[in-house]
Amino acid sequence: MATELRTTGWDFVTTKVDKRAIQRQNPDDPREHLRELEARGEVKIIPITEENQPIEVETLLGRTKLIPTTKLWHHKSCGQCGNIPGYPTSIIWLMNRLGLEYLDETHQTSCTAWNYHGSGTSNLVALASVAVRNWHRAYETGYFPLIHCGTSFGNYKEIRNLLVEHKELRDEVRRIMAKVGRELVIPQEIVHYSEWLHVLRKRVAALKVYDASQVVTTVHPACHVWKMIPDDVIYDREIYGGERPAPTTAILLELGAKVRDYSTWYDCCGFGFRHILTEREFSRSFSLERKIKVMVEEAQSDVAITQDTGCTTTLDKNQWIGKAHGYHYDLPVMADVQFAALLAGADPYKVVQLQWHTAGWENLLDKIGIDWRASKKRYEAYLEELKNGAVPEQLYLAPND
Amino acid sequence: MSQDLGDVHLRLDPDDVGIQDADSLLKAIRTDVRYHEAVHGCLNCGVCSGSCPSHRFFDYSPRVVVQTVLSGDAEAVKDMMDEYIWACAQCYTCAMRCPLQNSPGGLVMIMREVAVWRGMEAVHRLLKPYGRVLLKVLSLGNQLTPDMIQPDFFPDWGPKIPWSSTDLAIKRKAIPVYTLQVTTSAWRVSPETSYELYTIYEETGVFKLIEQIDPNLYEVVADMVEEVRDTVDSAQ
Repeated sequence: MATELRTTGWDFVTTKVDKRAIQRQNPDDPREHLRELEARGEVKIIPITEENQPIEVETLLGRTKLIPTTKLWHHKSCGQCGNIPGYPTSIIWLMNRLGLEYLDETHQTSCTAWNYHGSGTSNLVALASVAVRNWHRAYETGYFPLIHCGTSFGNYKEIRNLLVEHKELRDEVRRIMAKVGRELVIPQEIVHYSEWLHVLRKRVAALKVYDASQVVTTVHPACHVWKMIPDDVIYDREIYGGERPAPTTAILLELGAKVRDYSTWYDCCGFGFRHILTEREFSRSFSLERKIKVMVEEAQSDVAITQDTGCTTTLDKNQWIGKAHGYHYDLPVMADVQFAALLAGADPYKVVQLQWHTAGWENLLDKIGIDWRASKKRYEAYLEELKNGAVPEQLYLAPND
Repeated sequence: MSQDLGDVHLRLDPDDVGIQDADSLLKAIRTDVRYHEAVHGCLNCGVCSGSCPSHRFFDYSPRVVVQTVLSGDAEAVKDMMDEYIWACAQCYTCAMRCPLQNSPGGLVMIMREVAVWRGMEAVHRLLKPYGRVLLKVLSLGNQLTPDMIQPDFFPDWGPKIPWSSTDLAIKRKAIPVYTLQVTTSAWRVSPETSYELYTIYEETGVFKLIEQIDPNLYEVVADMVEEVRDTVDSAQ
């Protein structure tokens, strides 16, 4: 076959038949289309302003992303608040230490995406309406939404893109928002807390009061954070040579901990959305075989560091049952923000709330030099005080909502 | 009402629960507004299955899902919707790795949605253990709450779980964030917020779907909805 014909034929196949050509050009930047939609009056953008003191970072395709650092609206995670309460309290504690402004209130629902991925009992319009309702609530308060949960982050990136792409979806969501007295608004950027922690890592590390240089960490990156809409994820040439997402790993390095690689870094945790409830043998087997075992045996990890809700739960809760098959692992599991708060001197019980975690974390704290026994005594005494009617301590004075 | 836009649809109609002929199911999948973003073609290379967590532990392959849907064999697709696709862990590793930028995980989600919204028999069995999550997400908008972590439901999570459910109210009060000092929801959700969520569920057919596929659950949810609405209306 003549070279010319071969080239022409290949061009035809790649452009017309198997659509391989889509790989040759970067996907459109939805944020550009968003600005066009706003200019046409179709949507309102929740802007990142000077008040948010944003920091610019680079994402996968070399685009820039603005990460607001203050005046933030906490878009809480149901799995974190319900099951890993030290996750949000560590975020709030660090924000207090850094003197940042935020709003934590009751006018938020979950994104409902866990249920959707697990059960299918919702639909695109409902997911988009829930997202826009939460966004609009943040918008009317003047605070910028900071999303705590990885699945909410992934879902909201996807919903943002679909709203930008499909007029029919915008029209339908706008109709529903009118029924609840709200408007179609879309944030300028969809921002995960791990990105906020990433851009503030030097300031957070400056708070450090404990030495973590002897601590070997292994990172579990959350699938819905970096595999869903991957072009909207922060990459840094200094971290993994720019070949893997930078958040979480970068803060650990900044805190002075060792970050050790392991061969199943790319694997999911085994959460599975429905599996963690209804196919638990899968979640148990996968998290043990493909993550915990490898983190311990390959990397001799002291602690698994996460950046999402379901991952923290799955990796933490599924270790004990491994004894039934001769797995005697007891690897502490906690989020990056909990680890950072611990090193900055947060109380392991009252603030970081490690008592809700299942895998043993006491040896890790001994290694760092944190006196968890004294913390436990203070906590137990505090529980007694509360039983006797004491007013609960607050990290934050809630608005009158 | 179905959001029928001609070639594509935004959502399915809960009144169509029960329409389960294979051709109709395949058409519902292929006319989902997201379908052409999930499927661009398939080289049959198997990269998706090679990195799929469920492929390691189940008789499940994302490659086979994409190939079957593309084949147009409606009966085979219907058969797959019964149980096969529910093994997917929804991690989207397949989507990130596919050389054609397919999203087999996204396709599975469309198929799950069609299976549920057409009330396929297997769905009742598959969703049964999901009842507690559904109750919370429909009535509160929270999906996981502190009082759901009970030792009888999670015996395999080990001996520390009973601690988590004992004196729960006091332990939640000891979390130093006001919005979290509750036991039956992940955080305090204002009734006005729940009220707005119910409107969304009504307008998008979600409540009607639940009424059709799980009348007992719907009855419980409907009572809770009525109570919240009465509270908000009387306050106004």
